[in-house]
Amino acid sequence: MYVCLCVGVTSHTVAEAVACGATTSKEVAERCGAGAECGRCRRSVRAIIDSARRGPTLDRVE
Amino acid sequence: MNISDVYRHSLVIAFDYRVPDPSRVGPLLERKTAALADMGAHHVLVYRSTQEHGRVLVMTGVHSREPVVEVMRSGVLWDWFDSVGMEEIPAIFAGEIIARFDLTEPLRASAEPQVPGVVVAGIVSVDDVAVLTGQLDLAVDRFKSAGIRQMWVFQAFDDSSEVLMLSELDDAASAQRWIENPDVATEWMTHAGMGVYPPLFVGEFDRIVRIDAAH
Repeated sequence: MYVCLCVGVTSHTVAEAVACGATTSKEVAERCGAGAECGRCRRSVRAIIDSARRGPTLDRVE
Repeated sequence: MNISDVYRHSLVIAFDYRVPDPSRVGPLLERKTAALADMGAHHVLVYRSTQEHGRVLVMTGVHSREPVVEVMRSGVLWDWFDSVGMEEIPAIFAGEIIARFDLTEPLRASAEPQVPGVVVAGIVSVDDVAVLTGQLDLAVDRFKSAGIRQMWVFQAFDDSSEVLMLSELDDAASAQRWIENPDVATEWMTHAGMGVYPPLFVGEFDRIVRIDAAH
């Protein structure tokens, strides 16, 4: 899925940034640009971060 | 208007989000047809959740006139979300139809139009899309028995393992039974809601907006 419309970053790219060590939305933005501009995708970015932290369980994006 | 015709040969841009007043979504779209036409949209379908107030699934059929990323950066989507008062922008699915199952009986010319059913939609990552569609193909008789009328499978452009599954069932009871007892071919439903993917969407058709290319 496309997470960041400003720079066209996908959930896969964000997940890769998290796998490479990004643990906050700021760190994700620094690594791949997602959330670095308007910031309106940060909830989705955080959902990916949280999902990676918890492992394969249900994380609802409210 | 046959919804199947909308999805056929289309790429779709879909998003699932919550708004304070879902009744504003349809009228808003109808005011934005010029901008949607510029984006390459030919139809927009709106589904409203029957289980969560304010939750809406929007499926936009788009001609492949531009690269998908450029379409999404075009400003129309920002304007859309701004117009309904959304601060947070949901993740967006963009892909094309790869499988369709029509389990309805052909209607007689004199027959009454079928009452719109209940839709169940989910976006998930699967191990093998070809295996998934093969399983679905083998399960059509069971799907029909379960009250499924039609099923569409869309594959994401940005991730070949990611699919959007959209099904129409006879009624809410059929949908609930199916969700609670997923067929082996639809085990993907148990993985909905992980990470950035939204939980299963259960809802009903709200409206379709046809975009005239002459706009």
